[in-house]
Amino acid sequence: MDVLFNQLFSGLSMASILLIIALGLAIIYGSMGVINLAHGELVMLGAYATWALQHFFGFSILLALPFVFVAVGAVGWLIEKIIVQRLYSRPLDTILATWGIGIILQQIVRIAIGPESRFVSGPEILRGNIQIGNVYMSNYRIFVIVLSIAILGATWAIMTRTEFGTKLRAVIQNRSISECYGIESERIYSLTFAYGAGLAGVAGALITPLFSTIPTMGTGLVVNAFLVVIVGGLGSLFGTALAAVLIGQATALFSIVMNDTLGRIAVLICIILLIRLRPRGLFPGKTRN
Amino acid sequence: MDILQAENLYSYYGKSPVIQDISFKVKEGQFLSVLGRNGVGKTTLLKTIMGLTDHATGGLLFNGKDILTAKTHERAKLGIGYIPQGREIIANLTVRENIVMGTYARKDGKRDIPEYLFDMFPILREFLNRRGGDLSGGQQQQLAIARALAMDPKLLILDEPTEGIQPNVVKQIEEAIVHLNKERGLGVILVEQNIPFARASSDRFIVMDKGRVAMTGGKDDLTDEVVNEHLTF
Repeated sequence: MDVLFNQLFSGLSMASILLIIALGLAIIYGSMGVINLAHGELVMLGAYATWALQHFFGFSILLALPFVFVAVGAVGWLIEKIIVQRLYSRPLDTILATWGIGIILQQIVRIAIGPESRFVSGPEILRGNIQIGNVYMSNYRIFVIVLSIAILGATWAIMTRTEFGTKLRAVIQNRSISECYGIESERIYSLTFAYGAGLAGVAGALITPLFSTIPTMGTGLVVNAFLVVIVGGLGSLFGTALAAVLIGQATALFSIVMNDTLGRIAVLICIILLIRLRPRGLFPGKTRN
Repeated sequence: MDILQAENLYSYYGKSPVIQDISFKVKEGQFLSVLGRNGVGKTTLLKTIMGLTDHATGGLLFNGKDILTAKTHERAKLGIGYIPQGREIIANLTVRENIVMGTYARKDGKRDIPEYLFDMFPILREFLNRRGGDLSGGQQQQLAIARALAMDPKLLILDEPTEGIQPNVVKQIEEAIVHLNKERGLGVILVEQNIPFARASSDRFIVMDKGRVAMTGGKDDLTDEVVNEHLTF
């Protein structure tokens, strides 16, 4: 029983990071229809940025977080401005283009920093565990869970409670009429892409103490994040959150009863069945045409 | 002072010119009706004014300033309130958010909804927190007009605002348009199939045919012969 709870807790913390990655993906896809295959590499950049800030300047992860958010957001902003913005009328090409960007980013890091794993130490103040019975919960993982919930809340507030969010929702539904009312849709798209990228960076920073920091680390993560987006249904933050928890936990649970590989297969079979029954995911957005 | 002036205006979708060699003027506070059968380019003319077609050449001046190369959002900020065909309100935003959306085109950054909008269309006050998509066609049209007015425009361009709307609301909308033009001095360009309304309310009219101006004149020139020749099917 304790094994189960320990697994559930670690599953929840991985699910939290998955949620932050998937949120970025879902926002970018939901608002501009771009499937950002470079998203995993943005996570990787976030991880390396954290490593660099710690290695060269002695920043702890907590201190690095806002810098990483802004830096990776800026990279996303540039990618949108230079490449993606020219391809909005050709959605299929954005898949290829972002995939290419991903490969380039990965190789740049491999050449500049090297292929070997980099170590980032967890924050000092979050060292230690909370123990309930025989269940050990590391403070850092608790922090990750709380922060991901906060990010979900902040994203919801940005989308529904701010002028930027209102403009974004207007542009998503009717780009040309939004422009007829003074909304600069190109600027809204750039900022949205940057925000999604910034979230990927934050996820990369958070994952560094739990995961090895290598140039290819993003690939596996982004596959899981895509699964979360598909299962959650587009246009629903709540669906994305629930799907992240479900997939994180299912992976954790299946890994106990089977081995990791079989557990992975079982999760994928469950997702295939779910998509067969609910092709638009658990909570598809209400009115999308 | 001309608020809007088109000179030899051409407008294209892809390579095909939909608007060809159109010239007209709208003075401040003037009411211009654009008439013509279906498919002659009336909607495209309004879209050209907003910069929504692929490409346009010729001259298009707003307050004496050439706007043909300006982007759509820049034209909006000059004070052109566009009420498109089919209303195009944002279904997932609330009525309040839809009206506030109009203020995004204001230059002073104000986000207040002018009170007179609710005197004109009281139903909107009642439905402020409903989703725009839940309103009836007539209510959506009132919302679309309110949205355009929230930007405090200098010129209002309307594309068949009474099309497909229940008759009691049609009268309310027509009264509102006349009120805005006569009492508030707003320039109006109206695309309309409803000849009697155009005849009663406008100062000038242009009749379009195959993307060109077939004739133009003051309201007294809009005789039954003109209507028979260019506007009946």
